[in-house]
Amino acid sequence: MKIQNKITGAVRPCALKLAGAVLLSCSLLVFDHAAANATSISGDSLTILRMRENTRDDQLFPLYEYLNLSASDTGSQGTISVQLGGWGRIDLGDRSSQRRSDGDIQYGFLSYRANKNNLQFNAGRQWIVEGVATERLDGLYLRTDLAAGFTAATFVGTPVTTDPNFEGGELMYGGRIAHTLPKYYSIGLSALRNESDAEGLREEEGVDVWLHPIPQLDISGRSSYNSLSNGWAEHAYTLSVTPMDALRLSASMQRISYRDYFYHVTTSALSLTNGILDPNEELWNVGGSVGFMPTKNINVALEYNRYEYEIAGNADYYGVTASFTTPTALTAGASFHRMDGDTGPLRYNQYRAWATQKFGPADLTLDFFDVDFDSSITGRTNTYSLAAAAGYNFNRSLRVAADVDYQRSTDFDNELRGLVKLSYAFGFGKEGQ
Amino acid sequence: MKKISLMVLMGAMLSFLYACANTNSIARVHPEEVTGLPRCAECHTDNWTALNHQAQDFYLKHKFYAAQQRAACSTCHKESFCVDCHAHKEEIKPNDKYKERPELNLPHRGDYLSRHRIDGRINPASCVKCHGRENNERCKTCHR
Repeated sequence: MKIQNKITGAVRPCALKLAGAVLLSCSLLVFDHAAANATSISGDSLTILRMRENTRDDQLFPLYEYLNLSASDTGSQGTISVQLGGWGRIDLGDRSSQRRSDGDIQYGFLSYRANKNNLQFNAGRQWIVEGVATERLDGLYLRTDLAAGFTAATFVGTPVTTDPNFEGGELMYGGRIAHTLPKYYSIGLSALRNESDAEGLREEEGVDVWLHPIPQLDISGRSSYNSLSNGWAEHAYTLSVTPMDALRLSASMQRISYRDYFYHVTTSALSLTNGILDPNEELWNVGGSVGFMPTKNINVALEYNRYEYEIAGNADYYGVTASFTTPTALTAGASFHRMDGDTGPLRYNQYRAWATQKFGPADLTLDFFDVDFDSSITGRTNTYSLAAAAGYNFNRSLRVAADVDYQRSTDFDNELRGLVKLSYAFGFGKEGQ
Repeated sequence: MKKISLMVLMGAMLSFLYACANTNSIARVHPEEVTGLPRCAECHTDNWTALNHQAQDFYLKHKFYAAQQRAACSTCHKESFCVDCHAHKEEIKPNDKYKERPELNLPHRGDYLSRHRIDGRINPASCVKCHGRENNERCKTCHR
């Protein structure tokens, strides 16, 4: 087996520059057009001030700003829009850190969606989800319906990496072809290739299914094959049966081959090259759940999961969750889960209780979470957190909220954290949430 | 020359198939405002009935639905909704950002920083979808 070593060196984001240039020039065109015939311009701002301590007892006051903007113009043939979102942070307390400020453009793309054939074209930084591809790319994306129930999607670009010392490849491209009979099924074939200097870093093919031959039955899942390591990376399938509105039965199966699934993962905690994950490991996860809604307000779910490892040993995870919701005022719930593993740290009980009550424009939330280990973790067998949050809606657009979070964990005896946030939505026209 | 001919032929064939499709696109914005966790079957009778957000297995299955027909998600959810969790570079856990929404199935509740070394071994493949395959700065703080 060949495990890719981490490749260091300067990133050559040719596709990034190309996509950026396309996005910028098209954005100017759209805004020019929007100014004359705009149907929707909207955005939301989320300003967050966190208060916490680090392990050296330094007081940290990071201030974040999350900003999302959307402008769209709908014509007789379709809608053209620009979507942009990102965040920035500055530390108000710790002035010693070299990384006192940071930020990221999470997405920024120009999009065209036609009224016919589900034709969509995106250019820019975007989240691609098509069959085997679950990638953030700086690039281009095209999707459309074809004749006789077929659909096609394709994408090309540069993978977005968050650290310039690690390459995620210079070029990624792929696509998906599917056939759909809306009442019964959708079956897709997909592939992607990620390369650097024409050398393949990732090469995956897959099949995905969504079967619902009768309304009460829903089967979905996918399998992906790694062509570079010549092995199946993942099989993941779920089956849901809804014999009546109030009852839902579900079964799931997942099989992961670490050697094939984590091939060329450069995220340090998940890389096969740093000794944390054993490339020979294989995971089987099978489970099931029963969801019961005796009334519209009450939801009870029983679940069971079994994790089987070739090397690390097995674990069972099972429990029950119950929740109660009224349409306008109260949401409350409680859960108990048991993790029963082969090793000490993997044997614990997990308890949770939460409630949110609305009082007109105000709301109050309490959330308690407790983990009771069978054996001590760094000298402690019980860890818990208690969070209290309160919010006030001045109107549909402006909201202020604050929360405090007390934790007693394996790392902290008493940790108190706070957060204050101001959210503001603006614009006109109709958009999603 | 052979490659160009093949590409031209494929382009012509795809154009023909596109022209013959003649389907109506999924609405870009849901015509009715939806609040809370919707049960799509309350209004829909077609395949969208499967998208019951209150179902106990919806969180597990949403990746399959999104990978097949993301336009359906986009009728209600903006891009920023996905990015709240699926962000390679993010410093605030979703459940810290939305403490007032405890009913949402947001992972990493409580003190996950100390618990992740235990839970992480349960199914590390589940980390990839949000934390990314490419190097994540938060992970690198400790896992160098």
